[in-house]
Amino acid sequence: MKKNIIFLILSYFIISCEPDDICLVSLPDTPKLIIGFFDESNGLKKEVTNLKIQGLDNDEFYFFETTDSISIPLKNIEKITSYFFTKDFDKNSGISSNDDHILFNYQYNHMFVSRACGYVSNYDLNQIVIESDSQNWITKTEITNLAVKDEKAVHVKIFH
Amino acid sequence: MLKYFISTLLLINCLKAISQENKSIDTIPVKTKYGLKIGIDISKQIRMLTEPDYKGLVLMGDYRVLDKLFLVAEFGNEEKRVTNEVLDFKTDGSFLKMGINYNVYNNPKGLNNEIYVGFRYGLGDFNHKLNSYTIYDLDQYWNQNSVNESSDFTGLSASWIEFVFGFKAEIINNIFVGLDLRLNRLMTQDEPTNFSNLYIPGFNKVLEENNFGVGVSYSILYQIPIFKK
Repeated sequence: MKKNIIFLILSYFIISCEPDDICLVSLPDTPKLIIGFFDESNGLKKEVTNLKIQGLDNDEFYFFETTDSISIPLKNIEKITSYFFTKDFDKNSGISSNDDHILFNYQYNHMFVSRACGYVSNYDLNQIVIESDSQNWITKTEITNLAVKDEKAVHVKIFH
Repeated sequence: MLKYFISTLLLINCLKAISQENKSIDTIPVKTKYGLKIGIDISKQIRMLTEPDYKGLVLMGDYRVLDKLFLVAEFGNEEKRVTNEVLDFKTDGSFLKMGINYNVYNNPKGLNNEIYVGFRYGLGDFNHKLNSYTIYDLDQYWNQNSVNESSDFTGLSASWIEFVFGFKAEIINNIFVGLDLRLNRLMTQDEPTNFSNLYIPGFNKVLEENNFGVGVSYSILYQIPIFKK
């Protein structure tokens, strides 16, 4: 009988191994906010030269390039994310020629995905505020997609 | 699948050992006992020793209604905390399983061993408590990915069926030990809002890609002999 009991215990351990669940990188993660830059006069896409993007109270640049569209991350557990969008930034001298402070106000929802991936954030945009300064280069903003659920289309248009 | 194959091989080995031991007492004339067996599924206690975040108690009983046929009931309670890289939750609940075992083993006269196939219908009531979770965000610029808000998902229920294959051996007079393997299939479940039933007491771990699950039990049972034939 001893032999049987050893078998019982042994087979328990064999059965109890479970494969680890892996979150596949191919699954979409939390979407970023997609911003397109447009000409204020004719409404066509227009590049911003040497655009620097940096979050408020964040020591790192998020982005530095000349572009006509950009995707930026929103905070997942705060309802406001603040960025400085700087035009014509000179990386060598570090002189900000013109930075505009922009605030995104939204509602966040955490949506369950799976055991291995956890949750993702989706956002519902409420409002975009450009803080007034003496020389705002951003003239107007427009929310084209209130719900930030994927990265398929532009959510926000910025005119300059 | 390999692990089940190995386990099955082990099981067959066990049976061989039992049948060899039994040969020597072939000649003693004993009447066949009919009765009620009650006991516990000791695999839960073994699991409590090896898994610190698990608690469980399962009572089992069967009643021999026909020569080969047993009515079976199991009742239990389980509590399991699951923590992985992205989730930390606790599930607790109780369950009831009812069904039959059919003994396919032809015992030498006077022996009451069983090799059986069986079927169970299971019903469970359970709650989840989500303690914390992680937002799946490949971008780490804001680093706001862990959420420590707890939420409760209560009053959930599920039903499932189980196919059972196992054996029991009478090691001492009226004391049985047994082992069985189970293939479970989830039939119905209450989906919690914005969460998922990743663990169901009685059913075990729920896989997200299909409705199947597996289980195992080691039983120790005492037979109350009611009558002999």
